[in-house]
Amino acid sequence: MRTIRGFTLAGAACLAAALFLLLAPAAARAQKEIVLWHAYRGEEKAALEEVVARYNAANAAKGIKITTLPIPYDAFADRITAAVPRGKGPDLFIYAQDRLGGWIEAGNTIEPIDFYLDQPTRDRFLPTTLQAMTYQGNVYGLPLNFKVITMIYNKKLVSKPPTTSAELVATAKRLTNAKAGRFGLAYSYADFYYHAILMNAFGGGVFDAQRRPQLDSPANVKSFQLLMKWFGTDRILPAEPSTALITSLFNDGKAAIVFSGPWFLGEVAKGVDYGLAPLPTLTEADGAPMRPWMTVEGVFVAAPSKNKDAAYDVAKYLTDLSAAKTMAVRGRQTPSNLKVYEDPQVSADPVLQAFRDQVEVAIPMPNLAEMTLVWSPATTAMNTIVKKSATIPAALAEAQAKVVEGIQRLRGGK
Amino acid sequence: MTVPTARTITISHRRRILAGLALAALAGVALLTAGLVASRSAQREETARRLGIVRVQALAQSLDRAGIEGDAARDLVRRWAASDPSLHSIRVIALSGISLEASTAPDDAGARAAPRRLEREEKPLYDQGQRIRAAAETNREEGVARKTEIEIVGGEGPDGRLEIAAPLEREGVVGGMVAATTAKPPTGPRRGIALDVALAVVLPFLLFWIASRGIGERRGPLLATAAALLAIAISFLGVRAVGTLAEERRAGEAAVAQAAETEAARAARLLAETAADWAALGVTPTTGTPITTAAIDVDVYRRPYGGAAAGTPGAAARVARDAGETARAVRRVAIGIGLLALALLAFVGLGAAARFGATLRRHREAYLYVLPAMLGMFVLVFFPFIYGVALSFTDATLFNTDKSIPEIWVGLRNYGEILGDFAIVKQTESGAVVNYLNFYWTLFNTVLWTVANVSIGVSVGLFLALILNTRGLRLRPIYRVLLILPWAMPNYITALIWRGMFHQQFGVVNQVIQIFGGEPISWFDRWSTSFLTALATNGWLSFPFMMVVSLGALQSIPSDLFEAARMDGASRWQQFRSITLPSLQPALIPAIILSVIWTFNMFNIIYLVTQGEPGSSTEILITQSYKYAFERYRYGYAAAYSTVIFMILLVYGYWQNRVTRATEGIA
Repeated sequence: MRTIRGFTLAGAACLAAALFLLLAPAAARAQKEIVLWHAYRGEEKAALEEVVARYNAANAAKGIKITTLPIPYDAFADRITAAVPRGKGPDLFIYAQDRLGGWIEAGNTIEPIDFYLDQPTRDRFLPTTLQAMTYQGNVYGLPLNFKVITMIYNKKLVSKPPTTSAELVATAKRLTNAKAGRFGLAYSYADFYYHAILMNAFGGGVFDAQRRPQLDSPANVKSFQLLMKWFGTDRILPAEPSTALITSLFNDGKAAIVFSGPWFLGEVAKGVDYGLAPLPTLTEADGAPMRPWMTVEGVFVAAPSKNKDAAYDVAKYLTDLSAAKTMAVRGRQTPSNLKVYEDPQVSADPVLQAFRDQVEVAIPMPNLAEMTLVWSPATTAMNTIVKKSATIPAALAEAQAKVVEGIQRLRGGK
Repeated sequence: MTVPTARTITISHRRRILAGLALAALAGVALLTAGLVASRSAQREETARRLGIVRVQALAQSLDRAGIEGDAARDLVRRWAASDPSLHSIRVIALSGISLEASTAPDDAGARAAPRRLEREEKPLYDQGQRIRAAAETNREEGVARKTEIEIVGGEGPDGRLEIAAPLEREGVVGGMVAATTAKPPTGPRRGIALDVALAVVLPFLLFWIASRGIGERRGPLLATAAALLAIAISFLGVRAVGTLAEERRAGEAAVAQAAETEAARAARLLAETAADWAALGVTPTTGTPITTAAIDVDVYRRPYGGAAAGTPGAAARVARDAGETARAVRRVAIGIGLLALALLAFVGLGAAARFGATLRRHREAYLYVLPAMLGMFVLVFFPFIYGVALSFTDATLFNTDKSIPEIWVGLRNYGEILGDFAIVKQTESGAVVNYLNFYWTLFNTVLWTVANVSIGVSVGLFLALILNTRGLRLRPIYRVLLILPWAMPNYITALIWRGMFHQQFGVVNQVIQIFGGEPISWFDRWSTSFLTALATNGWLSFPFMMVVSLGALQSIPSDLFEAARMDGASRWQQFRSITLPSLQPALIPAIILSVIWTFNMFNIIYLVTQGEPGSSTEILITQSYKYAFERYRYGYAAAYSTVIFMILLVYGYWQNRVTRATEGIA
């Protein structure tokens, strides 16, 4: 008897609680909810949530509320591809611009925002970052921040950072002792993303202005010749450079100069006194600076969203001056907002300033869908060149042939 | 309970075949009619779309000459709406100013009259304009007709109205868009097919009934007669279908030719009137080149329809060609349906249907119990598999995910490319080089990988199992746990660790080699050494499984067998060969089959340890398929690749099964 009564009471309590939960928020639902997905952790996440809280406080009266949802980085792109076109995604999401082309071609993923974009908003941003958000003449997102590769050096080993490639080679040679495992220069030169700093300096690159691949252009050939000079003749670079290797060499004081981006700084050990400087200019390219690819993270409005206007206003808020300042100071990001660098707190930070200086010569990474087909042949070409199992023009010609074939198959057409 | 056998014998062949013929005729004719109705309505829709495009494109061509912005354009639009009442809600959008330049929509009057900036609710219209502009530019740059430049929506249902949007160009640059809604097109005369259908169903039935009276109970001739009558009925219907479709197509073509002429004339007249009006005020819109039918009767990529617009010299050839294709398609479908109908006739006529029904009734409880599992298997296993196979016959890539499967059908082309490519070795300037992307090279690599791995796994596993099986071994549980660890740890992590161990400068393996005085090897430079790294990793990962299986089997061998053998004077090696190995067979053979299939598809190790280096030479079939799907975005090709892998393993499994059953008898 006792147990039956107990069960009945418990069941009634559960039913009541369920009814309460179902009916109570009906009143709160009059609020408009904008869902924002991001892949931030740690300080960046805290900074973003501070900005969002400010927005919610300011707009509580209008009944608009932002809800953020952090998603692990590895799964993020796949979730967007799978969930958003089916209407199960967020209203807004923050991601890098390199997948932009693929998502636009797949359709029903990202909303073009030229309609909303006015000149004052356009003028807020570093022009190249807005260009990174543009695909076939339409703007698809507002740039939030950028990441570029710059020169990171060990202050104990290098007193004055080199400004030209001639100085770089001289400094590095002095500090290299291959037998002892010390190298003057260490960077992931076998990664095509890192090699772009040389390709772009010589005026080469992956796609030309008409979106046709140009992997075997003379400029690219020259960039590889320079790399082989550094690796083969000057011997200032280590073999098989993985990111783990570069990090451990730098932390052990065995690498004097590293070319890497903000992601590297988080891995540097506490005892290492490091400095940042712009990448040197290339004497071999008539003094042209090394131009890294910039990866721009943008805020995108999802195409199936039911609150596009409100979502765009949120995107504008996330990229304006006050939000940029929070993301820079607390989140340690380098925002695309131009004015934020005049703020005393931001201009006093040497790391942020160094990246800001570097981005002046950076080129947006190609956001075409065809870019994913390029990585594999390009990496193969890089490996064959570095291992000297093919001549530079031959390896590049083969990569070019593969990319052209891949693109033709992909585009099909009638 | 007795099976009513007496009853089944007395059901006459005649009646059964009659029933079968009725059913088959009904089913076949129904399918064919459904196909015909669908084709007819598709043809009608296509004609309606062509007519719509002709009207809007004529207006677009006129606006190209009159200008997108300005009062001249607005005047032209007004005249056009007055002249052609079938075009409603004409709107002209200019992209650079995000503005509505001209509109005959009833809402856009008074305060909302054009020209004005577009409002927030009209964003989709602006986006459509940008989309069309991007499509035109992409098609021109890439030189292929990939993206639709004229967007058409609607046409279904009783409404039948179409909303059409076309780009407006000035000196080769798309600067705006014109969007309009067309009224429901008039339905042309329809030829009734009801009579043909009724004849095709009823006649065979009647004729067979009459003929069978003469033939009697002989099953063979009865079946032959029924089949012949069925074939004749279906062919008859097929021929009539071809005739109907051809007639309607000709009528449609004539209508489009007529409309194109009318519209071209209208465009010329209205342009001239507008020019005259505005010339008087000193503003001259350009009249440019005359508007031809080839520029108006276009497809959605703005190319002349089918290569030759209506009314142009090539049109007749195009119509004839399309008619021939339709006839061929109908013939193929009719043959397919005919075969199905014949199968149905045989199924029912020969009594198989009756037996099937009896089985279902007798075992209906069993079938009911199995139903949930069958449904689950269908949804989770069979449907994805069938979809994958269907995809393998198409040219699906990232860029055509919005097209349905029949639109991108390429038949066996993918399989031909995979299996027919024998160019394993290429001649380059530096000598003969292996083409590592070739299927046969990858197959060779995969087979070598599987054979090597399974051999190593089995030998090492068996060896360790024999050692662990020693009587009186101390600390045996500890050894067992330690030896199972490689299998228990996540192989993602261990693969990455092994990759690090093979690093040329800082890896452990090279350090050890150097201690022994050798030269450090660059493991990922050559195919042979790269293959060895993956082999070492997978060997380390796979021996525990074989060891466990062998240990279990070893422990089940009765020890008195060994006693007896020892007393007979057999050596250790003879004992092993005659007692241990045969007893291990029933356990090891299934383990080997499993291991072969797992290793054949061992994605993780190759992907993480060698990553296919150097230059895709160590890829196995499954990693190659993955790269085709997710790096080169060629889904159809990758699906074909996967189906080929499945076929290979199916053949292997079947062969292995037969071989082992033959050896099971040895005790």
